[in-house]
Amino acid sequence: MNTETFSENAKAALKDVQLRGALRNATTLFGKRRREAAASLSNWEELRSEARAIKDDVLLHLDRYLETFVENAESRGAQVHWARDAAEANEIICRLTLERGARNVVKSKSMTTEEIHLNTALERAGMHVVETDLGEYIIQLAHETPSHIIAPAIHKTKRQIAELFTTELGMPPTDDVAELTSTARSTLRERFAAADIGISGVNFGIVETGTIVIVENEGNIRLTTSLPRTHIAVMGIEKLLPRFADLDIFLKLLPRSGTGQALSTYQSFITGTKRNASDEGPDELHIVILDNGRSRMLAHPVTRQSLACIRCGACLNACPVYQQIGGHAYGSVYPGPIGSVITPQLIGMEKAAQLPYASSLCGACREVCPVKIDIPQLLLHLRSEISTRQPAGRRTERLAFKLWAMIMTRPWLYEKTAIAGRLFQRWFAPPVKAWTASRDLRPIEMESFREHWRRTH
Amino acid sequence: MNTGDARTEIMRSIRAHLARSAHYDGRETRIHTDPCKSASQQPSQPVVADFKRNLELVDGHCILVHGPLEIEDAIKRIAKGKRIATSESPLSAKDLFEYEVGITGGQLGIAETGTLVLDSSVERNRLVSLVPPVHIAVLDASRIYPTLGDALSFLQSGNEVSPAITFITGPSRTADIELTLAIGVHGPQELYVIINLDN
Repeated sequence: MNTETFSENAKAALKDVQLRGALRNATTLFGKRRREAAASLSNWEELRSEARAIKDDVLLHLDRYLETFVENAESRGAQVHWARDAAEANEIICRLTLERGARNVVKSKSMTTEEIHLNTALERAGMHVVETDLGEYIIQLAHETPSHIIAPAIHKTKRQIAELFTTELGMPPTDDVAELTSTARSTLRERFAAADIGISGVNFGIVETGTIVIVENEGNIRLTTSLPRTHIAVMGIEKLLPRFADLDIFLKLLPRSGTGQALSTYQSFITGTKRNASDEGPDELHIVILDNGRSRMLAHPVTRQSLACIRCGACLNACPVYQQIGGHAYGSVYPGPIGSVITPQLIGMEKAAQLPYASSLCGACREVCPVKIDIPQLLLHLRSEISTRQPAGRRTERLAFKLWAMIMTRPWLYEKTAIAGRLFQRWFAPPVKAWTASRDLRPIEMESFREHWRRTH
Repeated sequence: MNTGDARTEIMRSIRAHLARSAHYDGRETRIHTDPCKSASQQPSQPVVADFKRNLELVDGHCILVHGPLEIEDAIKRIAKGKRIATSESPLSAKDLFEYEVGITGGQLGIAETGTLVLDSSVERNRLVSLVPPVHIAVLDASRIYPTLGDALSFLQSGNEVSPAITFITGPSRTADIELTLAIGVHGPQELYVIINLDN
């Protein structure tokens, strides 16, 4: 499945009854919890605006903030690496693991490492890589990809997971979620004990202190970042917040928007390396800073918004398109409304030209976004770029709009067309039928206002 | 390709793209003002009650005691006959897997979320709070602050924070299988915070 076959993917997903049931449950529950959690704070709207102002500030001065962040992280013992693209990031990480004679890598959930397909690169370098987040572990065993930013295995039933654990881990068949969880726990503990390298993502990088902050519920991130001797954190250039105190806002918004929690179970604030050799924790901290198409988005205020995203997943749950087709149909690492705007910008407009159209522009995503990203505006911006770049690609659409303009600017033609429409509305031609098949089109009155006026005055 | 090149090139790309955007941005957007003006208040009794209520909301247990003898009693009741590891003794991960109860202190509490804060400058072996199936933390009531903002400002002095700070809000949880809540996936199934009111 890929981004270029979106319509086919979506049609197939719509026929998958089990998938649609799972999606309905998940998106309804997440949506309800988000609403309740947001309502529990009296200043939710102010927090959103403030968060956006902070992100705008960061992005407008990203060069300076990055330099200060790196300076502060390095002065506290972190080693910083720069990667222009996915290949360079993978090369750096593989080199770091090979240089340390590593064999076993544990990973905590990170969309950025999904984006660069790090696991494939590490496996090619001979590493044994294990995803340790339960959802990610399940899809790794199933050789699949995440279908939701925060609930990667949302598309699988417990029966499918039980079957997977039976074949892959030799577990006796069960339908009990607690038993499945405890099997994963004990299997993964062995992997943690053997791990040479731990790889994580980063939720927030704090400029003034050089701190990286990682948020989770399970505890696997804490294990990944404390047990192995080397910790490698992969961070997009946009993840920065200027002040430690800014976390007060973002740690209120992120968990409430994602899972509806007041605070996720664990937050790890990691600032450089440990101060005493005998202390717990890794000896080395490497931060890999990734561009991979992000800096391009800075070139326009509309596209720049994409970089304010904190990956909470709220727009997925709110989106009537995602609710019906799920994450895989998008064929991209980042699904849903935010995926539809960042994917074309990351991998190239020509490779993901269908995604900006995978939306009804209803605006539900904009309403729930904790950093007020105007996703519909972004979608329109990208659509216009696509239609200027690929005039041939959307010929029918361009023709239709030309015709529309022609009719609307000529009153005599408009009247004739209206009369024609009135007479032939019963037998609409195929392109209009596609619309009326699932919607009601208001019938055209047999007498127009102008005709009525002429008759009665 | 070496990393020096990458850094220069990424920086150049950031500056060049921002420069292209300047035309649309008009005047410089404001640098935001300090968002959270949560004045650190003196902790008081309602703060402890809030902490307890919010911790219990996320399936944690909270025990209020007076003085060291009651702390010891509370620990005994929970950990009787079990193998106990404390954060004062460094243990290898493999050893740690054998223990049934981990006991730590707590450097801060956050009342509005029921959060326990471990700071590496004091708590040097924090895995004790994560690996055994039961985690007991002992926290002085005077260390509980009303809000997240208070705790953050307390943890920071100038541009310095401790190398590793951990926030813990309830026991480890996941809902990755059919959205069914499972407690204790990688971390403890039970979390007890013993609050010493005599302090």
